Amino acid sequence: MAGRSKTTGIGELEMKLQEMEASTAHDIAAAALYEGAGVVADAVSRAVRGIATEPFRYAAGGRKRLASPEEKAVLESAGKGVAKFRDDGATVETSVGMQNSGYGTIAGRRKPVPLIANAINHGTSFMTKQPFIRQVNSQSNGPALSKIENKLREELDKLSLD
Amino acid sequence: MPDEYVALVAAMKALTKGEAPDTVTLPVAEDEWNPRPTTDSYGEISLDFEADALHGDNVKVAEAYEGSFDLYSKKRDGDGWIPMIRRTLTEHCDGAWRLNYHGYERETRLFHWEWVFQIEG
Repeated sequence: MAGRSKTTGIGELEMKLQEMEASTAHDIAAAALYEGAGVVADAVSRAVRGIATEPFRYAAGGRKRLASPEEKAVLESAGKGVAKFRDDGATVETSVGMQNSGYGTIAGRRKPVPLIANAINHGTSFMTKQPFIRQVNSQSNGPALSKIENKLREELDKLSLD
Repeated sequence: MPDEYVALVAAMKALTKGEAPDTVTLPVAEDEWNPRPTTDSYGEISLDFEADALHGDNVKVAEAYEGSFDLYSKKRDGDGWIPMIRRTLTEHCDGAWRLNYHGYERETRLFHWEWVFQIEG
């Protein structure tokens, strides 16, 4: 029976992964990353729900408008899932957001979802910015990292028990 | 509110008021879509400012202020404003700033820059 080793910090977990066979390390890293990405995806959904809206009006006279309920609805219904994992042999990467979320219809015209998200997030000369992605970063960074760390620890502990 | 934050806001406001209007006027065209800019209808520049308090990533820092400055200009080079904004950010944010976004608005034919900064509380 293999002895159980206790791991503490994330640095130690990384070292353990580096010592393993590449394919096993990849599987463990991907599983952990998926857990962390899920936290970020949930934070994106929450941030989108928090976007302030007002009925559509044309910006004029130096004033800016908020996002319209229609624009918010497009973001709410758009996919915010975890993108396919990319593996270059040394690192595993993924992204969360609305990069590949297709199109939404605003005032009868099809517009790419990332364009709408960009306009709300960065603002335009006629729309007030609501930096919801920055909110996602600051709120989900810590929880996502601890989720990754916990999953790594869990998977490594499982291996050492086998 | 950190002193550096207050000083940055004051410096940016002074920069804006000293050289250009705070906002641009966007007259509404007959079809109610924002018209193409002309020298009469548009100011050359608009500076927006917003900031939020957030918990810093650095565990030693309890709080940090993150915000952004936006520049809208008809000219591709920002009409000389870019070096002035960079200088002000460097002076007050100790290098903790970056160009976060640069885009072009087709509807208004304005170039848009967004710089994000962070000041530790």
